[in-house]
Amino acid sequence: MNKTYKEGSLIEKYQISPTRMEFDKFIVPTVTIFIGLLLCFFMLFPLWSILTMSFFKGGEFGLLNFTLENFQKYFTTAHSLNALWHSLYVSFATTVIVTIIIFFFAYAMTRTTISGKPFFRNIIMMPLVAPSIVQALALIYLFGRNGLITAHFLHTDWNIYGATGIIISEVLYCLPHAFVILYTTLSAVDIRLDEAAESLGATPFKVFTRITLPSAKYGILSSAALTFNLTITDFGNPVVIGGNYNVLATEIYAQVTNLYRFDLGATISIILLVPSLMAFMLNYYISRKTFSMISGAAKPVIPPSRPLKKISYTVYCWLVSFAIILIFATVILGSFVKIWPYDWSLTFQHYKFPSIGGYSAIWTSFWISLIVGIGGAFITLVAGYVMETRKPYFKQLIYLLSVMPAAIPGLVMGLGYILAFNKPYYIFYGTPWIVVICIIICNFTLGILASISNLRNIDPSIEEASISLGGDTIRTFFKIIFPLSRVAFFQNFVYFFMRSMTTISAVIFLVSATVHLAAIEIIMLDNDGWTASANAMCTCIIVLVLIMLGLLHIVQKKTGKRQAGLV
Amino acid sequence: MKKLGLSVGCVLVALFFLMGTASAKDRVVIYTSLENEEVVEYLEQAKNELPDLDIQAIRLSTGELGARMLAEKDNPQADCIWGWAVTNTSEFVPKGMLAPYKPKGWDKIPDNFKDPKGYWTAIDLYAAAFVGNTKVLEKDNLTMPKSWNDLLKPAYKGKLIMPNPASSGTGFLQIASLLVMLDPDYKSKPVEKNKAWDFLKKLDKNMGQYIKSGSKPAKLTAAGEYAVGCSFAFVYSSLKKKGFPVVMALPEEGAGFELEVNSLLKGAKHEKAAKKFLDWAISKSAMKGYAKFKLGVAYPGMPGPKGLPALGTVKLAPMDFPWQSKNRAKILEVWTGLFLR
Repeated sequence: MNKTYKEGSLIEKYQISPTRMEFDKFIVPTVTIFIGLLLCFFMLFPLWSILTMSFFKGGEFGLLNFTLENFQKYFTTAHSLNALWHSLYVSFATTVIVTIIIFFFAYAMTRTTISGKPFFRNIIMMPLVAPSIVQALALIYLFGRNGLITAHFLHTDWNIYGATGIIISEVLYCLPHAFVILYTTLSAVDIRLDEAAESLGATPFKVFTRITLPSAKYGILSSAALTFNLTITDFGNPVVIGGNYNVLATEIYAQVTNLYRFDLGATISIILLVPSLMAFMLNYYISRKTFSMISGAAKPVIPPSRPLKKISYTVYCWLVSFAIILIFATVILGSFVKIWPYDWSLTFQHYKFPSIGGYSAIWTSFWISLIVGIGGAFITLVAGYVMETRKPYFKQLIYLLSVMPAAIPGLVMGLGYILAFNKPYYIFYGTPWIVVICIIICNFTLGILASISNLRNIDPSIEEASISLGGDTIRTFFKIIFPLSRVAFFQNFVYFFMRSMTTISAVIFLVSATVHLAAIEIIMLDNDGWTASANAMCTCIIVLVLIMLGLLHIVQKKTGKRQAGLV
Repeated sequence: MKKLGLSVGCVLVALFFLMGTASAKDRVVIYTSLENEEVVEYLEQAKNELPDLDIQAIRLSTGELGARMLAEKDNPQADCIWGWAVTNTSEFVPKGMLAPYKPKGWDKIPDNFKDPKGYWTAIDLYAAAFVGNTKVLEKDNLTMPKSWNDLLKPAYKGKLIMPNPASSGTGFLQIASLLVMLDPDYKSKPVEKNKAWDFLKKLDKNMGQYIKSGSKPAKLTAAGEYAVGCSFAFVYSSLKKKGFPVVMALPEEGAGFELEVNSLLKGAKHEKAAKKFLDWAISKSAMKGYAKFKLGVAYPGMPGPKGLPALGTVKLAPMDFPWQSKNRAKILEVWTGLFLR
């Protein structure tokens, strides 16, 4: 890249001064090293603390201290061992159900001509704006022992606590994540193949099984892997609706907080890390393959669907959307009803939170999320830029480090943070900053992948032009790359903001007397039996996130137009 | 746009810093496992009566609080503990994590409510109680149980709920009281041989769920999810006040109870402010606040809350705090092994 301006004599007067060139040489490695160190210190170091805690006596690293005692204890304690089987069972079941539901949902969105697609697409994304606990809260109100539907409409003793409850709530939580992947896959696969098969006389069933399914197989696998990972690492839903049914995530929490067994907590963390790492690696492997399946000549025109197909898919999409709407409606309504389901008069009393955090927790969550949003979006964009266009040394290594956080369950990361950083010399411990850092690191992967894919869309010639006109790395980044990837920046901001407002597992060990967070308050309120107030807190988070989304939508529209005008 | 973004970012970061440090008052960081509901009121009062303190508190369950303390052993984040179970506190004295402090007015506290060396000072006691939902009891044609023994009746099968002793202090005091009451020789034999486990195994057959928090059994019962919840006394009176269809009974065999105590942390970063707070926390006016909720407070001669029986009329179980504190880990291990699946 640098050769262009050295050879051309015409542009000699634009040549960069030697000092600035020195600076330029210096800046790329600096940024690379900075990002590498950031990830090593805030991701690998806490993981290392977990490893030493589980494999060495007293958590002291040393050859003589090496022990498998913790693992032996884990695998011989029936109750703890059950958590593993429970986790695997729940996650497999959720994965299968979600993949099937979402495949047909995405199919309806990409291959049929049903009306109301934008509406369905928005509804299916709804679960992203709330913590992964709303599902459980709503299901208990509807199908609990004294649930509206089970006890008052059906008069049955059946209730949803346990595995059933966890599976249903996880399904409803994972829908948007799986949808994003399968929607992209199905819209990218060339639909003309289907047409060709049909015109050659294949039955619709045959087209579906021989053409549609195989062409989407990598997308299906990838979304299944993601769903599996999300379910097995989730903490919020199982802790609320699990009852006596423990899973790995709740077992880690129980070992640490009930029995003060940090060593066993760390050991179970390692055990949880194995399946989640495997699912992640499968996903990583597949996502590399996927690209080869996507035809460059993919054609987005959809032939009109037959009436029966159209009606049945419309009904189907309505059913799925209804389930999601029902969850949100129940939680929001539940926060205003005086005593569910005895006294239906409406009240604001549940919004007087019976907790120390209360509204200050919402406020803190909001500030922290803004900072996480700006910081996370900026760091991932810079990192993506340096890695993608500057090709520094150790690019592969940095890349691997940056996609790793997706494989690490939030609860494990949080536990690692208290084990690693609770020393007097880490002054950020106990301040909001540790929360900010933890959330950014936990969600680093998606941020960086989005940045990279966005940077790939920017024509490299624009950047080359900037460089040949004498712009150095910093100027090129701020004058060319940053404005052009503004949309990506906003998208990443929204993503980090939402994650920060709604994450539970990553920060449950990190909240403190000075840092109360809204999402954790929900868990605490529910734990204390203030379910209605927990619903109210959920509603506050949902409203805040929706307002933020609305604001950014407006900003994006404006800048989007300006950008279009520029190019 | 870029400049705007940058300046907005700067303002945000500046505000964020200010948020944490703006207060010129003396900060004190408190860990408590008093119920959220009461602690919100006490804190309101404390903030009025101690205007020069910047009180930062977090409410953690009995188990969580201990885990926090252990995790932060090398770098204590809290300055003092407010209202934590004496069983757990006594466990932490030999770990060397607490500092002796005799707050102002220490002499007025009766001897059985304080540690002679000043490692802890109790503010109140709270007792185990059964809370029933009248509507559910009526619907299922059940009577309100009066004793632990009543709970074994097959009619209650699946309709009872009690706290998990590992995470809840209330749960632990219930189990501990049974271990002491049902086996007179509890001291001379290992924990796992205690006769009370047979009783608990029978009780387990009726138990619908073991839940994390001590107040939640009562609240879930009030919400109609269960018929009877093993919980504690004052949660009943607050539910009753809110209009839930609830009744309460104290176990006839003797109600297990627990002292809630304050202590100063060794290496507290704001020791002076912490001492000031601890002085306030056993003052007469603070005790008046506690007395609105608790069955009994440490200050002698203070009337209890409305809707609960007077402390003098309650048959309390013979608790053995040193024994249950020493054997806490073992008791939990046995319980967990037997009843968690």
